[in-house]
Amino acid sequence: MLNRLGEFASTVIAWLFGLIWALPLLYAIWAAVHPSAFATRFDLLAPLTLQNFGRAWAAAPFARYFLNTALLVLGVMAAQFVICTLAAFGLARWKFFGSGVLFALILVQLMVTPDVLIMENYRTLQKLGLIDTLTGVGLPYVASAFGIFLLRQSFKSIPKELDDAARMEGASTLQTIRRVYLPLARPVYVAYGLVSVSYHWNNFLWPLIVTNSVETRPLTVGLQVFASVDQGIDWSVICAAALMTSAPLMIAFLLFQRAFIQSFLRAGIR
Amino acid sequence: MNILTRLTIAATLAVTALGASDASATDITFYYPIAVGGPITKVVDDYVAEFSKTHPDITVKPVYTGSYQDSIVKAMTAAKAGNAPDVAVLLSTDMFTLIDDELIEPYDAIAKSESDQAWIKSFYPAFMENSQADGHTWGIPFQRSTIVQYWNKDAFKAAGLDPEKPPANWDEMVAFGKKLTKRDASGAVTQWGLEIPSSGFPYWLFQALTTQNGAILANQDGTKVAYNDPKVVEALQFFADLSQKHEVMPKGVIDWGTTPKDFFEGKTAMMWTTTGNLTNVRSNAKFAFGVAALPSKVRGGSPTGGGNIYIFKSGDKARQAAALEFARFLSTPERAADWGIATGYVATRPDAWQTDAMKKYVSGFASAAVARDQLKEAVAELSTHDNQRVTKALNDALQAVLTGVKPAKPALDEAQAEATRILARYQP
Repeated sequence: MLNRLGEFASTVIAWLFGLIWALPLLYAIWAAVHPSAFATRFDLLAPLTLQNFGRAWAAAPFARYFLNTALLVLGVMAAQFVICTLAAFGLARWKFFGSGVLFALILVQLMVTPDVLIMENYRTLQKLGLIDTLTGVGLPYVASAFGIFLLRQSFKSIPKELDDAARMEGASTLQTIRRVYLPLARPVYVAYGLVSVSYHWNNFLWPLIVTNSVETRPLTVGLQVFASVDQGIDWSVICAAALMTSAPLMIAFLLFQRAFIQSFLRAGIR
Repeated sequence: MNILTRLTIAATLAVTALGASDASATDITFYYPIAVGGPITKVVDDYVAEFSKTHPDITVKPVYTGSYQDSIVKAMTAAKAGNAPDVAVLLSTDMFTLIDDELIEPYDAIAKSESDQAWIKSFYPAFMENSQADGHTWGIPFQRSTIVQYWNKDAFKAAGLDPEKPPANWDEMVAFGKKLTKRDASGAVTQWGLEIPSSGFPYWLFQALTTQNGAILANQDGTKVAYNDPKVVEALQFFADLSQKHEVMPKGVIDWGTTPKDFFEGKTAMMWTTTGNLTNVRSNAKFAFGVAALPSKVRGGSPTGGGNIYIFKSGDKARQAAALEFARFLSTPERAADWGIATGYVATRPDAWQTDAMKKYVSGFASAAVARDQLKEAVAELSTHDNQRVTKALNDALQAVLTGVKPAKPALDEAQAEATRILARYQP
């Protein structure tokens, strides 16, 4: 009896926290589907409208921005997977002179916020002629210290015997990575992929600085047209725009919820 | 000759040919921020299209650069990497920062003809205060504003006040505010008398109070500030008293972005905000409202605000000449009038108000001229060398006092000490 009561209480508390966490999202939905006169007034009978979405969509070339953002996050993620996998494998399995120092240097990069490097990165890209290109937006992020660190740790935990067995069968290094390491580290890839995609989906300052044209700018830069500081804020349109631009991520998360949560638990990122 | 060599030669020739055809046209880049709502990027694109029609030899690439904050970061990053925009609209208060980093060219160095000289003199002097330093003109006013007061005429009527008479001085403002502040049975306020926003850049609104109290916060060269002048302390005490003693304004920090919304929804009967908000208030207020110059204490007055057009150093004569041409195009009387009507900013020169479009606009909407008339009493917006840090010292003091953490005098003494320390290296 007491046990069931405890269970009931913890369910109620979990729901309560869930509700508090979801409030901003619920508010955004409320504001987005009502005329702006009702944005901060709760009235169940308020008229519903989709006009806010129409106004938000028309305020910037969002179709193009969606394409740019999708290309950017997928491109960055693919490049990160390749580079981080190879680097992590080298650091986890090969002993070579200075590997410890090298790994420490990579870890140092974790302590530096990317915003500090804006100036230097811009100069480098300028020399490479990559200003105002999607490659330029993504390039500084492809050798991700976080990704290397995460994959190295999970590769280290894979039993060496499996590696040896694959070698005995005559597999090359790349084949071993593909057949042994990749499948075993799958949850880590899913978890890291999610972190990477959501980071680059939301990244704003760097893309704004390094791009100049509609063809290269991501969604977040398009969203900025609603932050009209001299004029106050129209919550309805902002909420509609925010929902619209985050919808693909939210839908994807809901669809793959189970896989994501399991990956996070196994990968140990919270 | 193998294929590779042939390809290389072909490519080199092609590049040379392209380069040659490019030389006849001048390409310039134009950075602009957006600080008001509406389809502003489209208005700017239209200006650029119009410009290219009359100037086929110049190609302008307009680049929208986000908020003012983002714009200065982007412009400075690009400029320091040798990829500066040719023309940029940035805050007038960024002038000293841009001068100190040697990023901008003074107009008097490129605009030498007689008509150019006359053009520089054609703007309202109040706007030029934030555009000139050390004997040079560094910026040309583009989207400039002042602070004005808006009042809800219906609420004035309901409180037994004359709906056509806004408060003319501080005492009236407090007295009106007390009548306008309404409480329900439990004592909770349903309508405040007044809101003066204090989030983000509280120094700007506070500067209106110090101006009215007869204080000037910084010198023209941007090397000295007077944060703990007794008149400034008195102004800050009054700012805090509005909520803490007179209880006509909400306590704590009032958000800039939502103040207009509070006004539309009747949560406050009066508000102080930029004239840039005029178009917004006009289209959203469901009641009769009025716009007036700010109330006075020993004098009236408001700081100016907003963005100037700067020309960046590029070391290329042709591009600078093209940049000047574009800056002149953006600031003709007709365009200044058009931009003012589209956004609510104050058209930057007296002759813009003589254009037919502007005359028609003002005759249908007299409030549009209030900010212009207030320019007589306007002062330069607080701007110094190392502007961000020097104004931050004041902002921190203001918010500490408004939230009741510190009393006015010690908070401002501290801000003054901090600002003096930062400005020490700029002393002559």
